[in-house]
Order: sequence, then C-alpha cells, then structure tokens
Amino acid sequence: MAAVLNGAPVAERAGKYLTFDLGTELYGLPVLQVREVIGIQATAKVPHTPAHVKGVINLRGKVIPIVDLRMKFGLPTAEHTDRTCIIVMQLAGRGTSILVGAVVDRVSEVITLSAIDIEDTPDFGDGTTLPYVLGIAKMRDGVRILIDPDCLFEVGELGHLANVPHGGDQP
Amino acid sequence: MTVLTAEPKTKRRSPKTRKPLEPAPGPRVEVIAPPPLLPVSMAAVGSLGQETDLLTDFAVETREHIAGIETSVLVLERDPQNTEAIHSVFRAFHSIKGLAGFLDLDQIQLLTHEVETVLDGVRNGRLAVTSALVDVVLQSVDYLSQALVKLDAVIRGEPAVPFPVTAALLDKIHNLENAPEAAEEPVPLPELAASGSTSERGARTTSRVESTRVKVDTQKLDALVEMVGELVVAQSLLRHDERLKSDINGPIAHKVSQMARITSEVQQITMSMRMVPIGQLFQKTARLARDLSRKAGKTLEFVTSGEDTELDRNIVEELGDPLVHMIRNSIDHGLESPEERAKAGKNPAGQVGLKASHQAGIIVVEVFDDGRGLDTGKIRARAIERGLIKEDAELSQEEIFSLIFVPGFSTASQITDVSGRGVGMDVVKRHIERLRGRIEIRSVLGHGTTFLLKLPLTLAIIDGLIVGVGSERYIVPIVAVKEMFRPQDNSVHSADGSREMVRLRDRVLPVVRLSERFELTPTHTALRDSLLIVIETENRQFCLVVDELIGRQEVVIKSLGEVFGNIPGVAGGAILGDGRVGLILDPAGVFQADARETDSCHA
Repeated sequence: MAAVLNGAPVAERAGKYLTFDLGTELYGLPVLQVREVIGIQATAKVPHTPAHVKGVINLRGKVIPIVDLRMKFGLPTAEHTDRTCIIVMQLAGRGTSILVGAVVDRVSEVITLSAIDIEDTPDFGDGTTLPYVLGIAKMRDGVRILIDPDCLFEVGELGHLANVPHGGDQP
Repeated sequence: MTVLTAEPKTKRRSPKTRKPLEPAPGPRVEVIAPPPLLPVSMAAVGSLGQETDLLTDFAVETREHIAGIETSVLVLERDPQNTEAIHSVFRAFHSIKGLAGFLDLDQIQLLTHEVETVLDGVRNGRLAVTSALVDVVLQSVDYLSQALVKLDAVIRGEPAVPFPVTAALLDKIHNLENAPEAAEEPVPLPELAASGSTSERGARTTSRVESTRVKVDTQKLDALVEMVGELVVAQSLLRHDERLKSDINGPIAHKVSQMARITSEVQQITMSMRMVPIGQLFQKTARLARDLSRKAGKTLEFVTSGEDTELDRNIVEELGDPLVHMIRNSIDHGLESPEERAKAGKNPAGQVGLKASHQAGIIVVEVFDDGRGLDTGKIRARAIERGLIKEDAELSQEEIFSLIFVPGFSTASQITDVSGRGVGMDVVKRHIERLRGRIEIRSVLGHGTTFLLKLPLTLAIIDGLIVGVGSERYIVPIVAVKEMFRPQDNSVHSADGSREMVRLRDRVLPVVRLSERFELTPTHTALRDSLLIVIETENRQFCLVVDELIGRQEVVIKSLGEVFGNIPGVAGGAILGDGRVGLILDPAGVFQADARETDSCHA
C-alpha cells in the first residue's frame, strides 16, 4: 500500500471523503474505509502501548483499539466536548480487515472530490515524508488534508512492544 | 494423471464411480485424456478455483472416511462377525474411490479399488477378517493420509509431486485375495445373500443421518457467539436499569426476566455449537495403541468410555498430542511385559484406556493403565540423582508424583523406539496448562496409574476474578489463583525499598504490583490497603497486588487482534457485565515482564 502512496495516480484519489476537524485543521478520510461514527466512550487502557493509543472499547461485541489522532499528529490535547467522537475505520490487515477507532474533535460532512481538486503533498525539502497523507484537497474555503488510514499506523505501532521477544507462553 | 501419480492410467472411470459427485459442474468432465499434472489440467479448463474447491472438499470428506474406517476396522478386528462394521469400511472405501475417480486422482482410485475388492470378498464371506487384512487396510489408510498431505500442498498452490502407491502394498493386497482359504477358516457373514441391496440400504441410512448436519464456517459461528455475548450484556444492562427497580413485580419486570431466560438459553445453545464429542480423538489413539502394543511386544486391551462427552473443538485438537504421548508412556513404561504380568498374577493382556466425563463444569479425561504403577522410591532416588530435590526433602506422595513433570526427569531406564526420546511429561504438562487445565496423578504400586486431565469445557470462556486497579478492570484467570489476602505491615519486607516480598505462613513470596507493571495510578499505595492475590503459574508462586476485588465472572475471551500483537502480561480482552472492556491477564507474562526488568541488575 505504502509504495503506491505518493505516486498514486491522481484519478484513484478522486471520490467521497468524510471530513473532520482536529484543532484548526480540516482532514478527510476515504468514505469507503469509514465503518461508522460513534460517540466517545470510556476505554480500557492497554499496557505497553504508545501514548496516542487510548485503549480498547467494546464495539458490539468486538474489542477494537482507539487512537487519539491529536496525539498521533503531535497536536496539543484538548478537552472532550459533546462534538468529540470516534470514527471507526476499516484498515487492510494481514488477511482480514481490522477496525480501529480514531478520536477526532468533530465530524463535519461528506465531500465529493474530483481528481483536479487533489494535489500531492508538497516537498518540504528536509527529506521528511508524511506517509499517511494521501494528498491535499483544495477547496474554496481552504484545504482538507486527506488521510490514508492504511498508512496511519506502522506494523506493530499500536503495540510497540509486540516484537520484543517474550519468554512466557501466551495462552 | 494427477499429483499423485506418474503412471498413466489405462482403466477408465466407470460412470458408476463418478456418481457421488454428479451435481458438480460440467466443463471438467471433458478432460479425459490424462494430463501430466493436476494443476495444469485445471488451468487448461480455466476453473482453477472450482477445482481447488473440489479438491478441498475431497480432502475433508476423505479424512472423515478415514476416521470412520479406522474405528470400524478396529471394531472388526475384535469382532469379525460385525457386518455393520464391514459394510461401513466397504462403503467408505467405495466413496473415496468414486470421488478420486472423478478428480482423476488415479493412484488413490487404484488403491481404494484394490482394497474394495478385498473387502467385497469379506462381505461375500469369501475372505476372512484376519489381522493381516486389518493391517493392510490400516496401511492403505496410512497411504491415503499421506496422499492427502501431498494434496493439501497442491491446494495451496505448490507444484504437484508424484506419489505412487508402493508395489509392496499392492502385493500385500493381492496376497490377501489369493490367500489360501485354508489358512484361516473364513467367517461366513450372516445375511449376506442380498449383499448388494444391504449395502445400498446402509448407504441410504448413512446419507440420511448426514443430511441432518450442516457444515458452518467457524467465522460465522464466532460472529454469532460474539453477538450473543452482546445480547447477554444488553439484557443485563436492561435488567439492572434503575427505572425497572420501581417495577419489581410489575409487567415489565416480568417480560424482562422472560427475556433473560431466553437469552441465557440462546447463549447455551450457541456455546454448544462449538462443541464436538471427544470420541473422534479417542478413535485416533485407539489406532495408535494398537500399533504401539505390537511394537512393544505387549498384548493389551484398549478401553474407552465417555466418547460422547463434548468439549470445545479447539481443545480436542490441542489435546491430541498430549494424549498420544501419555498413551505411549502407559504402553511403553506403564505396562509390564506379558511374562512379568503373569508372574505378578495379573492377566497377561494389560489394560490401557481413556475415559472422559463431565464433573462440575469441567471435563475430566483419564488416561489409565493397570501396569506397574509409579514407584515413589525410584522417582525420589532419580530426583535426588538429578539434583531436583535435596536428599532429606520431606515430600508427600503427591509431591513425589509431580516430580515426573519436572523438565529433565525421565523414569524410563532405556530408550525405545516409541518413547524416551527426550519429550517428557513436562511437555505434556505445559500443553495441558496452556489449555488452562490441570493434571493429577493417582497411582498404586503394582496396580496401575491414572492421569487425570482436568480441562475447561471451552477455551472461549474463562472463569475469572474481576479486579480493579485505579479505574481499570482486569480479569485474573481463576485457575492461576491460589488464595487472596491483605498483608499485615510486619509481613512485608524489602531489601532495597522497591522490590518487595511478603511472608505468607512458611513461605516468602515476591510481590508484583500490577500498577507498576502496567504503569497505572493505583487507589492505594500501601500494601495493607491493597489486595494480594497469590498466583501460581508454571511452577512458580508470586503475589499480585491489586486495589480491590470486584467479583467473579465467566467471560468470553476476545482477542485484541493483530494490531496489538503479543502484549506481555495480557492474554486478551473480555466484555464485562456493564459493557466495558476488561483485559484478561496472563499471569506468567506479568511475572516474566517483571523478571526482564530485574534481569539487567544481575547482568
């Protein structure tokens, strides 16, 4: 997935996006990878995971991880309001798809973008890339940063100790 | 013309053998000339996916037939007059032959055809059920099993390998057929005049029995179990709703409790859908016991009971290896030789067996033999020799028995073909513990040994203590819990101010604070306000510190999924009565993670 990312044919990026706010920025997620939007709820903390992993919740019988996108993107944390919610995204996993919830400030609308609306992420000249940015959508009132949920997390990122050799037998 | 053969086949399939798969779609049937390898022929017809499906079905079905054949043949060996057993073996081979013919698996077809001919002779009373015949049938089954393994590889897309039936096996089959009938008096089978119609009637009965079953994808089953779990949670939230409390004997409360009954019934049924009888596992071990007793030169009677006892499919699968190992042990080390037995005044034929039963919410599988029994003196001496215990150690009989589970301990004084190759009882114990079970030994010197495997009914549910640390909830598997207590101030000690130990009666146990391991803020920092849970896991005891005990509940285990990988100390998640998630602790992992930190201090 990552390989296609920045060189992805522009046409493939056209489509519907669900937009949401984090602080003052507006973002977009491909609507096909949004499973549902749910209200904020108490999470059970999972030990040995990075700070942006808030824990796990019960989504109708499934245990799914919840990630704070503000923390993931390095934005200042904010108090939860009644607009704060969780977008449940469907990511491509090994074999099956995985559900991951992302905490965002506010969900706004679904927009339809055509290929000409979307531009590649500019080159910042410092050699850094943002693998999870699919492109930048130019709108009349500003831009939407389009996120590729499949590249949001690196392998094992949600449990960063996952690859540490572990002596005990996990039942 | 397949994976399984190199030689082209001359005999064409008869329409009759093709019959079992009649409804399968058409284009394939056209491939009559033998193509070199199966995958090529499949690609040529352009229906690779379909072919793979057919092969997969064939493999599944043949494995079922094989299991049936093994059982029936062993019945037959004991009771050669058993017509039903003969018919069922014959039918199974016949079905495999038909399917193999349809799929161009010609070596399988060749073998099953030959065996079928022999079995037909038995049906007609022309041939007798001899142990040679049983051997040949079992060897043919072995060939089929191996062929299926090869077939699996092809299904996975690996290149096909020729796997011809050995001439030796075919010769054996032919010899049976041509065997002089004087060698053993043929046992004429009763009511065989109309053998053809009998078998057909039999076949029809079988198919009717099978048609009451439906094969279901396990994923669908898991999803159902998941949703039912949710239903139970939703139901219990409703039942404990404040507004309902004012209506305690009213109509709504009545309806809600009616719903609760239905929900719990639905839950029980769903859970039982994952259960399979343990019988099939016993059948496999019966076959093994037969082979082993021959190799070891011991005569034995293999007894099983409680085959209908049902337990979780996963447990049955995982139980195979330990059972095989223990049966090996019993036959090899437990049973005396026939001469020794006769000298001891016992029946020269030993008894080895398996017994399964339900006991208060758990399954008990007994592996027993009436052999020489465990010699506490010998075990003790061996343990001292190996440096496992001190010479003056005072041990109860139970403790001495449990020494055989210590790694590196083996009572066998000689290495044989079948056991004593380094895989010891410690591996068996670890296996059982991984299934969250326990193992106990009962033995009387000179009269035999019984191993009791106490297993949970299912791996999907765990009985646990719900404990709280700060605002978090965790589930401690109850099998690991020895006891709980609040310590006195004067029983807590520490050398460096951070690593604590606690004295409990005559033992000093290390203290592991869950809040420190998992980086949580506990409600209480003083040990005297906290609850200490004595955990025993992997032959080790320690005290786990939590804030409070909230309750005891049976919870459905949910995997945290691949995103998290293995998190040390966490075995999974579970949905608690209030709909929230609690993590299930893996006590060994919690402790080990602790050891990893302190290890650097010793380095």
